[in-house]
Amino acid sequence: MPFCSTNCGNKAILKRPKTGDTLCKECFFEAFENEIHFTIERAKLFRPGATVAIAASGGKDSTVLAYVLKLLNEKYKYNLKLLLLSIDEGITGYRDDSLDTVKQNRDDYEMPLKILSYKDLYGWTMDEIVAEIGRKNNCTFCGVFRRQALDRGAHLLKVDYLATGHNADDIAETVLMNILRGDLARLSRCTAITTDSGDGIPRVKPLKYTFEKEIVMYAYFRKLIYFSTECVFAPNAYRGHARILLKDLEKIDPSIIMNIIQSGEDLKVNENAKIPTLTRCTRCNYVSSQDVCKACILLEGLNKGLPRLGIGKSSKVKRLLQENEEKETNRLVCNGKDNTCICKNSKVPIIK
Amino acid sequence: MCSLDDNFENKEVKHFPKVEKINLRDLKCNKCRENIPVVLLRHKDAYCKECFLAGATHKFKALLGKTKLIRPHDRVLISYEVGHPSTALLHFLRSGLDLNTPKQLRFEPVIVFLEDQWHLTVEERIEIVEKVKKEISWFKFQVNLVSFADSVCNNNIVISQMNLELHENNKENINSILKKHINRTNKKEVLNILRRNILISIAKKLNCRYIITPELSVDIATNLLTNICLGKGSQVPDDTGFCDHRDKDVKILRPLRTFDMKEVAFYNIFNNLTPVTVRQPDVHQYSSIQTLVNHFITDLQDNYPATVTTIVKTGDKLASGDHIVRDKCKLCQGIILEKTDELNSEESTKFSRLLSNELIDHALSREDRYLKIKYKFDSCTDRNQRYCFSCSKISEFILLNDTN
Ligand SMILES: [Zn+2]
Ligand SMILES: [Zn+2]
Ligand SMILES: [Zn+2]
Repeated sequence: MPFCSTNCGNKAILKRPKTGDTLCKECFFEAFENEIHFTIERAKLFRPGATVAIAASGGKDSTVLAYVLKLLNEKYKYNLKLLLLSIDEGITGYRDDSLDTVKQNRDDYEMPLKILSYKDLYGWTMDEIVAEIGRKNNCTFCGVFRRQALDRGAHLLKVDYLATGHNADDIAETVLMNILRGDLARLSRCTAITTDSGDGIPRVKPLKYTFEKEIVMYAYFRKLIYFSTECVFAPNAYRGHARILLKDLEKIDPSIIMNIIQSGEDLKVNENAKIPTLTRCTRCNYVSSQDVCKACILLEGLNKGLPRLGIGKSSKVKRLLQENEEKETNRLVCNGKDNTCICKNSKVPIIK
Repeated sequence: MCSLDDNFENKEVKHFPKVEKINLRDLKCNKCRENIPVVLLRHKDAYCKECFLAGATHKFKALLGKTKLIRPHDRVLISYEVGHPSTALLHFLRSGLDLNTPKQLRFEPVIVFLEDQWHLTVEERIEIVEKVKKEISWFKFQVNLVSFADSVCNNNIVISQMNLELHENNKENINSILKKHINRTNKKEVLNILRRNILISIAKKLNCRYIITPELSVDIATNLLTNICLGKGSQVPDDTGFCDHRDKDVKILRPLRTFDMKEVAFYNIFNNLTPVTVRQPDVHQYSSIQTLVNHFITDLQDNYPATVTTIVKTGDKLASGDHIVRDKCKLCQGIILEKTDELNSEESTKFSRLLSNELIDHALSREDRYLKIKYKFDSCTDRNQRYCFSCSKISEFILLNDTN
C-alpha cells in the first residue's frame, strides 16, 4: 500500500473506490464520518430535537449507521433521540442470531431497542403463516410484510424519522434495475435521499453516498460487531441482472456507482408518459398503487381462511375479494337498527 | 442493505420473459392469417414474407412521418455505416422515393460515409471504401466520403465524391490528440462525441437540416445504459430518443430505433441485398464500460429480447430533470444544469476528494476542522463550468484547442 493521500506520513490501509485516493486508518475514520455528516447537513436530513428510529437488522449497513449516527449526534450536537427498530418475522432459527447482534448494538451504543414482531404488527408470525399456506408461497407473504413492517413499526413508535442503511451500491443497483424492468415511477423516486411513505414519517438514507466496500472496511477497523449472513431472500430476476452488471462495471471503474446515482438524480419522467400514481390504502393508510394494499389483501386472506388470496394475478385477487365481500354481505342480519340491510327492509350493524 | 423490493411482485414480472420454442410450420401469419409464416420476430410474432416486408416499410415510414419534422425537398444527411442496418436504410429510402403514390418520400437524401475503420489494414479499408461506393451507387445515390481522422486532426472537413485518402498513421494521428494516460472508456466517449460533432459539421456544409443514423434497438438500449453509467442521465432523451435536439440547426433522427438486427437482416435477405461486411475488432468484454454494456445488452437481446424493448421504451418516457438549464456543454452540446442547493452525487464526490487530500490539523477541534474544509469546499465550487458532468471528466484528456 502507498502512503496516505493527506500527506500525514502514515501507510495507507485502503484505496477509496469513490475517488481513488488512499488513506491511513486515522484519516479514513475522519473522512468517512465527515462525509456522512456532510450528507446529513447538506441534505437537511433531520430536524434538531427529533426522534429517529434506525432500522436495525444486525447487518453491516445498519450497524455502521447506528454507530456513526450516535458518534455524529454527539460530536456535531444534532440533539437527536436515537433508537433502534428491529422486526422479528418469527421464523424459527432465522432471526435469532441477527437479533442477538442488534441487542449487542443496543448495549454497545446505549440506544433503546424496540423489537416488533409480525405478531405485533399483523397478528400472525411467519411460522403460523407457513403452517397455513405451505412453504411454496411464503416468500410473497414475507416480502410484502417486510416492506411494510418498518413503516408500520415507525408509526407505532411515533418517531419523527426512519433511517435506513441503504448505501451507494444499493441505490445504483436500484437505478439499473428500474431501467431494466421499465419501472418509471420508481426510477424517478429511487435516488431521493428522503422519501415519504405516506404517514408523515420521512424515510432517510444517510449512507446514500457511502460505498459498501468502505462500510465493510469501517466496521472492520472499528471492530464493530455485525451479523454477516447474506439475506435469505433471493433477489428478483431484474435485481439479479442489475447486480451482476453493477459488479462487472465496478471491476472497470468503481466510481461508476456515483455516475449512476448522478444520472438517476438528473432524470425525470416525461410529462406525457403515464405512470401509475400512488394513493393510500383505504384500509391501513399506507402508500399503495391500488385501493387496498397487498399487505391488507394478504392479511384479509389469512384472517378469512383464504390464504391464497393475493398470491396470484391481481385480476384474480379482485374476483376473490369481491366474492368474499359478497359472502360478508350475506352474513348481515336484520335487527332493525343502524345500517340498511341487504334486504333493504331494515337497518343492521355489520357483524364480523 | 436488504434488497427486498419495495413493490409487489406479481408472477408476471417476477422473472424475465423467457424465450419459447415455436415451430413456424404449425402457425399462420399473424397479419393475414392465411399464409405459412417465414419469420418469427421477438420470439412470438410470426409473419409471411409479404406481410413482414409491408410491416417493416410501414414501421419505418410511420416513425419518420409521425413527427412531421422533415418537410418536402429538405436535404437529409444519411449517415452510412457498413452493415445490415445501413443497407436496409438505403433500400427503405430508395423504394420510398420511387413510389408513385401519396406515400412517396419527398425529401432529398445525401449519403455520407464517415470512414473510421482503423482496426483494419489500409488495403482492407481501401477495399471497403470501393464496396461502399458500389453499394451506394447501386441504390442510385451519390456517395460523399469523409475521413474521420483527417477531419479531427486537421480541424477541416474535406468531402469527396470520388476518393478517400487513407493513411497507415490515421490511428496514431487520432491518438495524438488525446493524452496518453486516457482510459479506453473515456477515449471511446471522446471519439463518439467527436464523430457526432463532425457529422453535424458535414451536414451544415452540405446544407442538410437533418441527419438520419442507422441505430437499431440494441444500439439505443446500449447507449441508454452507457449514458446512465457515465453520469449522462440528463442526456438520455437526446442521445437515445427519436430526435436529438441538441444542435439548434441540425437535428439527428433515428428511424430504425425500434428495429432489431433480425428484422433488418431478413428485410435485406427477402430483398436479395447483401451488405458490405467488415471484420470486427476483437474487444475484451472488460476493456471499457461501452464494451461491457454492449456485451450485456447483446446477451439480453439473445435471451430476453422483451427486456431490450422495455429499455428502449423506458428511454422514450424520460426527460431531463426539472432543474434549470444554465448552458450547453462545450464538448457534447448536452445541457448543463443550474447548480441548486440540493446535494447531489457530483458534489458528494468532490467533497470526498477534498477530504481525502486534507491533512488533519490536530490543533483545531473536530468541529473547527470540519468548518474549515467546508469553507474550502464552498469557495472552490465552480459555478461557471463549461462542460457537462460527464465531459468535465474527459475534457482534460483532449489536446485540441477547440473542439466545437
Ligand atoms: Zn493519513
Ligand atoms: Zn401474412
Ligand atoms: Zn458534455
